[in-house]
Amino acid sequence: MKLYCLSGHPTLPCNVLKFKSTTIMLDCGLDTTSVLNFLPLPLVHSPRLSKLPGWVSKDGSLNLEKELKECAGRVFVDSQPEFCLPERELLDLSTIDVILISNYHCMMALPYITEHTGFTGTVYATEPTLQIGRLLMEELVNFMERVPKAQSATCWKNKEIQRMLPGPLKDAVDVWTWKRCYSMQEVNSALSKVQLVGYSQKVELFGAVQVSPLSSGYSLGSSNWVIQSHHEKVSYVSGSSLLTTHPQPMDQSSLKNSDVLILTGLTQMPTANPDGMLGEFCSNLAMTIRAGGNVLVPCYSSGVIYDLLECLYQFIESANLGTTPFYFISPVANSSLEFSQIFAEWLCHNKQTKVYLPEPPFPHAELIQTNKLKHYPSIHGDFSSEFRQPCVVFTGHPSLRFGDVVHFMELWGKSSLNTVIFTEPDFSYLDALAPYQPLAMKCVYCPIDTRLNFHQVSKLLKEVQPLHVVCPEQYTQPPLTQSHRSDLMLELQPPPMPYRRCSVLNLPFRRRYERVYILPELANSLVPSEVKPGVSVATVSAVLQSKDNKHTLQSVPKAPPVAPSKKRKRVMEEPPVTMAPKPLLSGAVPLEAFLATLQKHGITEVKVEETADGHILHLQAEDTLIQLEEDGTHIVCDNNEPLRATLRDLVLRFLQKL
Amino acid sequence: MDSQCVSILPRVCGVLLVSGSSLPDDTSLEKLLDWFTTIAQTGTSLLEACPCLVDFVSKVAFDYTSGSSILSFTLKLTGLIGASEDGFKVLKECSVLKLVFNPQHWQEAGLWEDPCLRIGWIQGLKMILKHSEALSFFAQADLIEPLLQLQTDSSLFVASAANQTLAQVLVLCQSPSSVGHNGSKNRDLEHNSLSMESTQNYSGIITKVSDYLNKSVVLKEISQLPGSQQILRLLAMLLVRVGPPLRDTLLLAVINSLEELVSTSCSQLTVPLLDVILAANSGLRDDCVPKQRLIRLLWVMLNMKKPVDVMQAAAAVLRSHQSDPALSAHSARVLLLPLDIVTGVSLLDENSTEEELRILITEQLKRKSCISMICLCLSNIPQITLMASDCLPCPQRLIVTAILLLLRLCCVDSSSSSAGCVEVVRFITGNSKVQKCALEALLVLSKSPGVKMVLVEVFKVLTEYLNSHSSDPSVLQKSYQAVIKWVGVCPDLSCITDQLREGFIQAVRKRACDTRWEARDSTVEFLGHLVGAPSCWAFTEQEMEPSDVLLGGRSFTVPLLKEALQDPESYVRASSISALAQTLTPSWQDGTALTQEQEDIVTQLQEVLFQDSEGFARRAAVKYFIAWFSACSSPSSCWLLMQSVPTVLSQGVADLDWEVKLHTLELAELVLDRAFSDPSPSHPYAVMSDQDHRLPIAGQQSDLLSSLKNLVDWGVVSALLCGVVDCDRPVALKACQLLLKLRGIVCPVMDNTADTRVFCQLAGASMMQQVRKIQEMGKDTCVVSEACSEADKEGICASVDPECVSVCEVLRVLDLDEKLSILTQSSDHIYNSPLSLLQDILTAAAASSPPGQDPRQELVMDCY
Repeated sequence: MKLYCLSGHPTLPCNVLKFKSTTIMLDCGLDTTSVLNFLPLPLVHSPRLSKLPGWVSKDGSLNLEKELKECAGRVFVDSQPEFCLPERELLDLSTIDVILISNYHCMMALPYITEHTGFTGTVYATEPTLQIGRLLMEELVNFMERVPKAQSATCWKNKEIQRMLPGPLKDAVDVWTWKRCYSMQEVNSALSKVQLVGYSQKVELFGAVQVSPLSSGYSLGSSNWVIQSHHEKVSYVSGSSLLTTHPQPMDQSSLKNSDVLILTGLTQMPTANPDGMLGEFCSNLAMTIRAGGNVLVPCYSSGVIYDLLECLYQFIESANLGTTPFYFISPVANSSLEFSQIFAEWLCHNKQTKVYLPEPPFPHAELIQTNKLKHYPSIHGDFSSEFRQPCVVFTGHPSLRFGDVVHFMELWGKSSLNTVIFTEPDFSYLDALAPYQPLAMKCVYCPIDTRLNFHQVSKLLKEVQPLHVVCPEQYTQPPLTQSHRSDLMLELQPPPMPYRRCSVLNLPFRRRYERVYILPELANSLVPSEVKPGVSVATVSAVLQSKDNKHTLQSVPKAPPVAPSKKRKRVMEEPPVTMAPKPLLSGAVPLEAFLATLQKHGITEVKVEETADGHILHLQAEDTLIQLEEDGTHIVCDNNEPLRATLRDLVLRFLQKL
Repeated sequence: MDSQCVSILPRVCGVLLVSGSSLPDDTSLEKLLDWFTTIAQTGTSLLEACPCLVDFVSKVAFDYTSGSSILSFTLKLTGLIGASEDGFKVLKECSVLKLVFNPQHWQEAGLWEDPCLRIGWIQGLKMILKHSEALSFFAQADLIEPLLQLQTDSSLFVASAANQTLAQVLVLCQSPSSVGHNGSKNRDLEHNSLSMESTQNYSGIITKVSDYLNKSVVLKEISQLPGSQQILRLLAMLLVRVGPPLRDTLLLAVINSLEELVSTSCSQLTVPLLDVILAANSGLRDDCVPKQRLIRLLWVMLNMKKPVDVMQAAAAVLRSHQSDPALSAHSARVLLLPLDIVTGVSLLDENSTEEELRILITEQLKRKSCISMICLCLSNIPQITLMASDCLPCPQRLIVTAILLLLRLCCVDSSSSSAGCVEVVRFITGNSKVQKCALEALLVLSKSPGVKMVLVEVFKVLTEYLNSHSSDPSVLQKSYQAVIKWVGVCPDLSCITDQLREGFIQAVRKRACDTRWEARDSTVEFLGHLVGAPSCWAFTEQEMEPSDVLLGGRSFTVPLLKEALQDPESYVRASSISALAQTLTPSWQDGTALTQEQEDIVTQLQEVLFQDSEGFARRAAVKYFIAWFSACSSPSSCWLLMQSVPTVLSQGVADLDWEVKLHTLELAELVLDRAFSDPSPSHPYAVMSDQDHRLPIAGQQSDLLSSLKNLVDWGVVSALLCGVVDCDRPVALKACQLLLKLRGIVCPVMDNTADTRVFCQLAGASMMQQVRKIQEMGKDTCVVSEACSEADKEGICASVDPECVSVCEVLRVLDLDEKLSILTQSSDHIYNSPLSLLQDILTAAAASSPPGQDPRQELVMDCY
């Protein structure tokens, strides 16, 4: 059993598991942090961005004015943003049989895997994962295609040149593999390969293994996966949460008794308690609005935003924010808000019961109804006529490199009354803000990450007790900035197996058993004999048939009488079916009784010697040794076959024959 | 005593003898006993007052078929009767005493097993042991043996009462020369009455007690732990209560056993053992031998194996303020060790004797139990700061530095690391218990010498805490308190830079919008409290209020507080009103001109008073006006205040919440006091005259008249008249007292002609009814009509209003003195009277056995 690790990002994993005869890809997350190296894509012409000076090396030897721009002491690539894809050279992607998706954030690289690679397998995901994943991809494509950039910068990627670049650009890895965003056509083609599954539904893969998604409690339709054969079980834990937010609670018990547990997607903010952050979010929001400023919340169009809106629903009345307009701007805003209301079966119990009242499970429906929350596909159109300040705007993309958020950063960045509140933990907020510096607007970092923290995960692992744990190497040591926090890492016994990008791990367990079926008529012919109470044994002679990873014992076909042949060779080739197997023996030879029997047979001079495993009887007169051991008996008797046979028969008297 | 009670009592005793079980409730007997105790305490002889009691006691004693509760009651009653020497004699004569206090008697009857009876026995005994006669009876009857047996009784109540009684016996047994030392309880122990024989008996008692303690203190088996703990508690109590010679005797008797016990180093006994040693130690001279041995014992305890025990011992030594400087210094070092280890700030110099302890504590700190150890260390820092500076192991400034580092380590957001124990960080990060203890210690340390130089650091850490998303509301509250304390002791705030100030302001602003109401409440409270902090010197070398220096003054706080007036949580609204009052008090005192902002606030407060659904906010609103009125040097010249007072009074006194009403009356009292103390009550610009107090009666009358008119105009009189008939007793009482005050001022001076010139409206139907009733009773003929017709003549009251009354007349007519006497009695005085109790007992007895009728049936009928 092997694990190929195609992504080094702990929360955007992409691993391939080879188990029995199957090749299973676990998630295909897209690392979008690479876009932070690019200039923002403004929706409206930005004089500031267009006037940025091009970059020339200090000695003037290197001139990349066209490709690189300097802003506030940092250098950015002036080109359409590119993403860092999962590793594609480690194994042949066309050999992948299935892809299991655990949540909509972890499928954004899907078109890069399924398209143009020869992939012919199936993708398994839950319905909300597929639908919301589609929305997020659609949004991403829309963000990019809305602001087409003619040029594509490639010179800076040259190894020799990259080495001489300043700042983070110099240290960016595998820049040659970075790719521009996929097209909508590719998205549709990729998503057409998805087969929907429900929680705990069992899917057979080639009869070899069975895979089954379990609720992981992190987002709508998010799942962990159990991959098991008859005798082995591998659990794949991706983004999971034990907090009571909107999704169905996490199914922990089904993860029990795993041989290997692959653990990814823990919280990226181990020290930031989501409740505390939500409180910070609300108080900073209220503080800004009261002072007459606007609040900008760069966020994804699905996920935490539902919780934010729910929290605000309760908070706005008490904080006297009833008249402040809340805007949600995204090409998929409407679908996202509506989809969330229809996936009732994927929601937590409280929200499910609301559906039967019938009421919308999320209170943002009421916010929309009362006109407190308004949503628009983009800043153009209706929004520009209805826009009223001070207000709160939720919009993407959280990297601040594309999407409507770029416009608001340009618009509000100059006033210290306004605040930008970062709630998504995927991007460093300082890096995100870099191309907007100098910035007067206040910045607040309230990353809300509901995924498991180290304390919760160690409790979970204690509960489910896997034999081995495999995890990204980042989880095996405290974070760099808090090296004294030994509690911010996984401490397990035996220690977890760490992986990094491009690792190939031999998973540390051997398959020892395989299930074999016996046909009824064959089973009927067996004669079990009881070797000890409750345990019976029978010998069987059969033909083993293996097909579709299923093994069956069938009766031996009666060989048609073969005409005697002259050729000796053929005789030897005859199947040995007719040879009756020797009976198997079981039991132990009791010393005292055996000695008594020997005496009865006239063997009196016996010297008994105790050994580590049993006894050695020295029959002095006969010059013979009998070694009685736990798993064997030896009679050492030179040149006295009759005596040996007698002794053998005496020993056999004490043993059971099968 | 009530003669009615005396006449009923024999019947009650009869009932108790016959049917103890049919008492109205469990507490009846206790209440009865309380009543008897009250009688005895007034000095009257219980037997003279209730002669039937002896008969009752002897009947119960000789015929023990009564229930255990009646028996227990009788034992206690016997003690109460025997507490006086006369009663004792009577009981002795009728040989009740011997019988009642003989445990054998009860054992034979099989009743001794009942803890109820044993407690009665002990408490009776304790009550009786008030005089020498009783003590000799105690000695002769050899009651010390059973008393000692009860010291570790299985019932905790019995054991505790037995401990107390034993202490009392020993106090009584002390030679009279030492009596003066130990209070007055044994003053009646006549020196002359102690015969030689009895003195010997008493020494026998003391020997028996000493032997008993010596034997019981030693722990033989771990199963006897609870018993051992009980004995140690007893010993500690005895050592505190008995005087020197006897105490020394006891101490000498047990000290060997104590030493043995200390050597067993049993953790569960550490605290009680320390109590004993410190109790023994406190009264001893330094040079006496036992003292030296005790000090040695303390040293042994400070060197025990378990770090927690050692720290507890050190804490106890420091708390006891005992005089050995070496011991105190060592204790302080022990207590500071965890802080030293965790933070790596070297508070203690190298000391080889502590190396072993340091290793042990370091090990302990790597476990989760480190929290309690660190908290123990922090909570004893106040004691350490009280020590003489030469005993301190390090300057207090260093302790502050260590605590600041600890606070940083505890803060979730901080990435601080220490040179100390790394393993502990995982347990203390975000632990609000440690954070609170550390902030508490920081509060105390603000007074330490030489710590002002770390003010900036303190300020930074506190701002970090106020800013942190993970700070618990209680931690926030402590942080605010610490800010006020530190700002208060530092006269120079010039070290706080603009950047620090900005950070602080942002944090406060954010907390004012917190989602947790507790955090908002603390913030609002802080804004008010900061105004009260002493003035300081800021950058400009000018004296400034700390609130101005830190927050930029009222322009920052008032808008925040006004926002908080709209808070959904009533506590926050109430706190913001109080904080507004605190913030504006200086301007009221200075008589600064009113601003539009203040006018808005008054409007908002009146809205609160009219509309707020919660009492807290309304109470605070009334208090705001009280504060304003008291702070204002000349309230009558403040138009807004005087305009608001009538509204507040009329609305406040009609409130549903009794506290709001009471506060309203307090405001009325202030106005009333001011009206009559002010020499120029008529109008604010009147010229003051030195001759005022010497004016002839006519002049006084006219002044009073105008003051009274003002009071009526401001609604004070209506509020008082409304309050006096209020159904809440405290409100009515206060109003009644104020009306009496008003009557005392007004009525002696006013004659009948003058008083009819001041009228007031009667607000509320109940007041109207009450006045009418009095009128109808014919006490006075037609106050209203006469007053109004008079008024008509005078042209003061234009129309004849049936609700309009003459103030002086009402004051005279209302029987305020009678009302006061009724109101001063507690509302349940009738139900709690002894007569009612006795009647209840009789009624319950009658109800339980009416001839030929099933009482339950009647009860059922009653219910339906």
